[in-house]
Amino acid sequence: MSDLVEVRDLAVSLGRGRARREILHGVDLTVRPGEIVGLIGETGSGKTTLARSLLGLNRIDRGTVSVTGTDVGGLRGGALRAFRRAGSVQYVFQDPLQSLDPDLPLGRSVGEALEVRGSSQIADRVAEALARVGLDPALAARRPAEVSGGQRQRAAIARAMITEPRLLICDEPVSALDASSRTAVLELLLRLRDPHRGTAAGEAGRVGGHRTGQLFISHDLGSVAGVTDRIAVLYHGRIVEAGATAQIIGDPTHPYTRLLVGSAPTLDGAGLDRAARAVLRAQLV
Amino acid sequence: MRPRVSTVLRHRIGAVSVTFLVLVALLAVFGPLLAPYDPLQQNQDALLQGPSAQHLLGTDNLGRDELSRLLAGSRLSLLAALEAVVVGLVLGTVPGLLSVYLGRAFEWTTLRVMDAFVTLPFLVFAVAMTALLGNGLTQAMLAVGILVSPAFYRVTRAAAFPVAGSQYVEAARLTGASAWFVLRRHVWPKVLPAVAVTTATTLGSSLVIVSSLTFLGIGIRPPEPTWGGMLATSLEYLFPRPTAPLAPALLVILTVGACNGLADTLRDVTGVSARSSRKEKVRAAA
Repeated sequence: MSDLVEVRDLAVSLGRGRARREILHGVDLTVRPGEIVGLIGETGSGKTTLARSLLGLNRIDRGTVSVTGTDVGGLRGGALRAFRRAGSVQYVFQDPLQSLDPDLPLGRSVGEALEVRGSSQIADRVAEALARVGLDPALAARRPAEVSGGQRQRAAIARAMITEPRLLICDEPVSALDASSRTAVLELLLRLRDPHRGTAAGEAGRVGGHRTGQLFISHDLGSVAGVTDRIAVLYHGRIVEAGATAQIIGDPTHPYTRLLVGSAPTLDGAGLDRAARAVLRAQLV
Repeated sequence: MRPRVSTVLRHRIGAVSVTFLVLVALLAVFGPLLAPYDPLQQNQDALLQGPSAQHLLGTDNLGRDELSRLLAGSRLSLLAALEAVVVGLVLGTVPGLLSVYLGRAFEWTTLRVMDAFVTLPFLVFAVAMTALLGNGLTQAMLAVGILVSPAFYRVTRAAAFPVAGSQYVEAARLTGASAWFVLRRHVWPKVLPAVAVTTATTLGSSLVIVSSLTFLGIGIRPPEPTWGGMLATSLEYLFPRPTAPLAPALLVILTVGACNGLADTLRDVTGVSARSSRKEKVRAAA
C-alpha cells in the first residue's frame, strides 16, 4: 500500500537573517491510509513546523515531502493553491476560537472550502458534515462565540472533513478542551478514520471509499496513546524513536521517550520518581 | 462587526448627525433648485440688506441673495470635501491592504511615501498643486486627498495586519482560497469599521480645509458661491452686516460637528463589538 505521507531527510529552517535557524534536521516520517500516527514531543521540538511543511507552508532546505503522491516541497504559487483546493489534506488547529472567523456563522466557515472550489449544494453538505461530527445542523447559523469549546472544535473538524480528505493533520486538537469534550473529540477522530461508512455520500458511492490517514500532533501522551496506531517522538528537531503505540508506551528505548512516558501523570503520580527523571535528563544533555 | 445604519440610528448623537448630514446632502443636490434667486444675480438697489421677507438671510455687498448663494454653495463645498475623501480613501486603503500581502519591499516603500505625505502642510501643498495644475477646487482637493491618504493607510494597515496573520485566514488559505477571496471574506469586514470612522472624521476635516481654501480664495473662480468664500466676503462687511457671517459659519460648524458625531457613534458601535469579543474570550477561557 502506498504511503499517504512520505517524508525523507527533511530539513527546515525558520527565521530571517541572523535569527534563522534549522528547526528540523533530517526527519523521516510515513503515514499510511487509514492509519493514525501520533507525533509527540515537547514545545519547540518542531512538531508544528513538520505539520506545516506537509502543507507547503514552510520552505524546505533539504529532503523530500510527498503527500498523497505530490511533491509538496516543489509546489509554488498556483500549483500549491491547486493542491490545497483539491482538499486531499486538511488541518485542524489547536484553538478553534482562533481558527474560526468570529464574525461568520459556523456554516460559512465549515463550507468555505466548498465555496472556494465552486461546489454546489453547499448548505446540504455543510449540514451533512456537521451531523457527521455529531453537531446539530441548526448550529450552522451560530457564531463561534455562541457555542461551547467542544462544539467549536467539532465544527473545525467538520470544516476539515467536508472535502473528504485523504490526510487529516490534527495539531493539538484537544489541548484547549475540558476533559469531557476531549474524550468526545478523540472518539470522533477515531470514528473519522473511515469517514464515509454509514454516510449518504458513502452509500451513494460518491466518494472513493478511501480511509483517512491522520497525523495527530500532541504533547499529551495520554491523548496520543488512546487514538494512534503508531507514534513518532520528535526531540530537538529529530525523530528519536518511532514504532507501534504499544511498543513506544510499553517499552521506550530512547532516554527522552522514557522520560516522556515516565513523566506522564497517572492517578498514582508520575511513573518515574524525581531521581530517575534526573538521570534520564542527564543522558539527554 | 459591520457598522449598520440601524445600529447607528439607535444612538442619539448618531441619529442627529445622520439626519443633519442627510439634510445637508439634500441641500447640496436640490439646493440650486430651491434657491429663490439666481445666486449670481446682482442687485444694486439691495446692497448689504439685513434679513427680510424678500431675502431671508439678507444680501451681500453686490446685492446677491445670501440664502440662494448658501444653497448653491452647498453643492460645491460638499463635492470638494467628498472628492478629497474619495481620493484619500483610494490612495490610502488600497496600498494599506496590499502592504500586508505584497511583501516587505512594497510595505517599506508605501510606509516611506506615507511618511513623506504626513510632513507636507495642507494649505501650502494645495496652493502648489493649483499652481501646477491650474486654479480649481478639483485640483486643490486632489492635493488634500493625497495628504489625507496616510490616515486611511495607517488605519487600514493596523486593522488588516492582525487579521492577515490570524489562524482563520491561514485556514482559508489552506483551502486554496485566493488572496482576493481572503481579502473579501475575512479581511475587509474587519477593516471596514476603522475605515468608516476615518471616512467620517476625514469628511469633517476636509470640509474645514475646503472652507479654509475658499476663504483664502484658492481653488474658486469668482463669482462661484462657496461657504468659505461667503464667509470671507461677509467678514469684509462686518460693520454694516454683523450677522452675515453667521449662516455660512454655522453651516460649516454644524456639518463638521455632524461628521465628528457620526465618527464617534461609529467608533462606539465598533467599540461595543470589541468589548463583547473580550467578554467572549473570557467566557471561552472559563
